[in-house]
Amino acid sequence: MKTEATERGLVYLYCVTGEAPKRKDGVRLSDKPDRQTRAFGQGVYCVSHQDLYAVVSNVEESEFGEENFRKNLADLEWIKTRAATHENVIEDVMKHTHVIPFKFGTIFNGESGLKAMLDGHADSLKVNLKRLKGKEEWGLKIYCNMEKLIDVIPREEAEITKIEKEINLSSPGKAFFLKKKRDEMVRNAADKRINQYGQESFELLRGLSVESRINRLLPKEVTEREDTMVLNAAFLVAGDKVAEFVQAADDLKAKYRGRGFDFNCTGPWPPYNFCAPAEEKS
Amino acid sequence: MDDVVTKSKDVTLLEVLDRVLNKGVIISGDVVISIADVDLIYLGLKVLLSSVETMERLRGAPMYSPYQEPT
Repeated sequence: MKTEATERGLVYLYCVTGEAPKRKDGVRLSDKPDRQTRAFGQGVYCVSHQDLYAVVSNVEESEFGEENFRKNLADLEWIKTRAATHENVIEDVMKHTHVIPFKFGTIFNGESGLKAMLDGHADSLKVNLKRLKGKEEWGLKIYCNMEKLIDVIPREEAEITKIEKEINLSSPGKAFFLKKKRDEMVRNAADKRINQYGQESFELLRGLSVESRINRLLPKEVTEREDTMVLNAAFLVAGDKVAEFVQAADDLKAKYRGRGFDFNCTGPWPPYNFCAPAEEKS
Repeated sequence: MDDVVTKSKDVTLLEVLDRVLNKGVIISGDVVISIADVDLIYLGLKVLLSSVETMERLRGAPMYSPYQEPT
């Protein structure tokens, strides 16, 4: 029995599973809004259709209706808290069942709208659920402190060491030009190393993964870090390889730490980067 | 396996936003916030696509092709 609100209100979709989803505490998720697991002020529940399970909650028109949603998207604080809720709901489900996560703000008019989507995409969702079973998404972001890197390079590059000796022995006029040349050499060496270390690290971790992808770099305004993001990658790792993968990431972090690099390996994540059916890839 | 694996809180918000807003299955629900609106979200985050491009240009060629298909 469905309430009128469920039939007609907005239904927010978090993720789809192939087996009955459970709450964080292991209890099977109800098919009616569950007061114990709330998101956006409403109980989370599950809609079963086409042998699939959609984890959803009802949301208010005042917050997620098209026009209001659009307005809210301009509010960074609103986005932060709502995105965290989206992630938390999925992570709870993921504790017990593998999931296909949906993008933030996937909303339907009532359960009928949701079911119509499931009708249209059931096959590809099932194929992807099967593909993702037993695998975890891990992320690697590499940051580089350019000043620190540039600081260690002269000691390690013979040509730069040589030109620095020359600078010390030169007249001020000649030294000025040699310094310019040295700075350029250092910059080039830094770029080369960033590429080399990033490439080697990516290849090594890719070798321990089933799938991998490289995402666009986020600028400092977003990362709010002093150092620069130089690699943003995601990996799909088989369950029995995870320990090895994490160890490898840890080793890389230790290896490059002294050169101004910071390796941030995080996971396991819902497979956001590896779930898109081919025709809907962004 | 110490600090590498932890989802420390600071990291997580950035990591969450980077995934939740940009990735995941994209199916137009009944409330259609189109792909173009991703940029709207990014405006909210003060991330202009152009600034990313500028950064890559300043640094020379991008490290890898911007998008690599999984094999």
